[in-house]
Amino acid sequence: MSAQVEPASALASGAPVAPAGPVAGTAFKAVMAIFVAAGVIGFALNVGGANAARAWQAYLVNLLVWLGIAQGGVVMLAAFYLCNGRWAGTTQYRLAETFAGFIPLGFLLFFGLYFGRTLIFPWVLHPIAQKAAWLNTPFLFARDGIGLAIMTVLSLWLVRLSRTKEAAEWQRDSESILLVPNPIRRVAPALAICFAIVYTIIAFDLVMSLAPVWRSTLFGWYFFAGAFWSAAAAMALVAVIMRGLLGGNNAFKNPQVMRDIGLTVFAFSIFWIYLLFAQYIVIWYGDIPVETFFIVVRAYYPPWQALSYAVVILMWMIPFLTLLGVRPKKTPAILGAVALCGVIGIWLERYVLVVPSLSPHTVPFGWVEILVTLGFFGAFVLCSLPGLDRLAASAAREVWVEEHE
Amino acid sequence: MTLGMSAAMEIIGSFADEHLCVRGIEDLHKAQVRNLRVFYPFPSHRIEHAMGKPKSKVRLFVLIGGITGILTALAITIGTSWEWNLVAGGKPIISWPPFIIICFELMILFGGISAVTSFLVNAGLPAFESKSGYQSRFSEDRFGVVVKCDGADSARIEKIESILRNAGAEEVLREAA
Repeated sequence: MSAQVEPASALASGAPVAPAGPVAGTAFKAVMAIFVAAGVIGFALNVGGANAARAWQAYLVNLLVWLGIAQGGVVMLAAFYLCNGRWAGTTQYRLAETFAGFIPLGFLLFFGLYFGRTLIFPWVLHPIAQKAAWLNTPFLFARDGIGLAIMTVLSLWLVRLSRTKEAAEWQRDSESILLVPNPIRRVAPALAICFAIVYTIIAFDLVMSLAPVWRSTLFGWYFFAGAFWSAAAAMALVAVIMRGLLGGNNAFKNPQVMRDIGLTVFAFSIFWIYLLFAQYIVIWYGDIPVETFFIVVRAYYPPWQALSYAVVILMWMIPFLTLLGVRPKKTPAILGAVALCGVIGIWLERYVLVVPSLSPHTVPFGWVEILVTLGFFGAFVLCSLPGLDRLAASAAREVWVEEHE
Repeated sequence: MTLGMSAAMEIIGSFADEHLCVRGIEDLHKAQVRNLRVFYPFPSHRIEHAMGKPKSKVRLFVLIGGITGILTALAITIGTSWEWNLVAGGKPIISWPPFIIICFELMILFGGISAVTSFLVNAGLPAFESKSGYQSRFSEDRFGVVVKCDGADSARIEKIESILRNAGAEEVLREAA
């Protein structure tokens, strides 16, 4: 029986509602701050020494992962508006906005790559004559910087519009046939289109250019579809955590809402593997060394082979096989575990995309990578806390009223 | 006289609203009236749920069709490759990457065909005669609940009629079956 998420008036129905205070306590914030400090110290201690290249690689991997999740969430927000999705009232919109706070920080952190450019981009020290017009330091940082600046402005603008009163009224009333408020109707499609363009360029510049002779036209799509999917997985994880944290009949207690969140994870996981396979089959058919070496080093020989298979298992096989049925999607423990696998998978995927280009025969993993990852994770969570508070307030207010069975 | 009275009879309740119709079905079930037939103008999960219908068998046929499609695709691709060895670009004769595409396509094709076929068979389509109790407005904007019962049992007939009326039926008719 499909139970609708009720607007604020449903408070009268007597379902218990958790108090809407801040989600994270001081202790939690302190732990996250310690993570950030550990990351900064770990990075600073290594960036001057023998492990400098590893520190910068970990920096790039984590930037791509966490900025991808934050940006993918706002694109999911735009997607909700573009298809009039109102299966969970304002809660689904607050959920997609949760990570937006990291976007400005990620934008700033991008420019940090400038200082590590000689250790990240092989073409800085050994320019490729035919590609020098595109692959040169000033042009790369200018175009990517402008692109990310546009994305940051559009994202913050859309999030702001999405939190207005008119928008909330529209989000709540799923029966209404009114169109989305006008400003959102203009910004949301612009953001979605810019995302495709900017993140294609980011994929070409920050991932593909690490192996400067390699090319795959579809790679940009594959890269941003992965970022979009990682946001879906992170949203599912947050939904499951919030469901337990808030208590009462919060919006996430509605099995139908959990099912819809599970569906996004399921669907875009298939889209991701589709784009992966679409590239693989073309390279496999062509069998041209300049294209195959990128795959061969990752999927055919140790040590990277096992990690590549792990990525496919975490990002496609587990979500596909587990979330195929209705019941696993409605079971928070299963959905949460799959989403956690997805977030780990996307980290591993970005790692496998970036690092083998620079270190084909060894897997550099140790304290440097762990500390930098912890630092980024802590910063990501701290930036998401205001969004989480809004999400908690929304999910606690929109109580789920169970219909007669 | 008595023989005529004991003929089977149908009580037709017409509802203007999906929720009221669901309530009517549930109230009838509570009163142990089980032999219902419901007509509704659009597919309604609420009514299907209230009727307590088991899940459709179509899904099973789709699964069987899909698996048959994959097996057929494997048989065709591997079989033809063995029968006529063509070495292309030094690749093995049995190369799985392109076979995946054929497997996928035939899975969709066979699954789709078996879905349509089993849907028609399970739904008893095409149907050239409408079922008893049907009225054309049940294909427009009204919900119809039809209860078959013994024409002699007037106490039961009245009880069913009052249940339907109390649930919100806008009209309750008797009709000889």
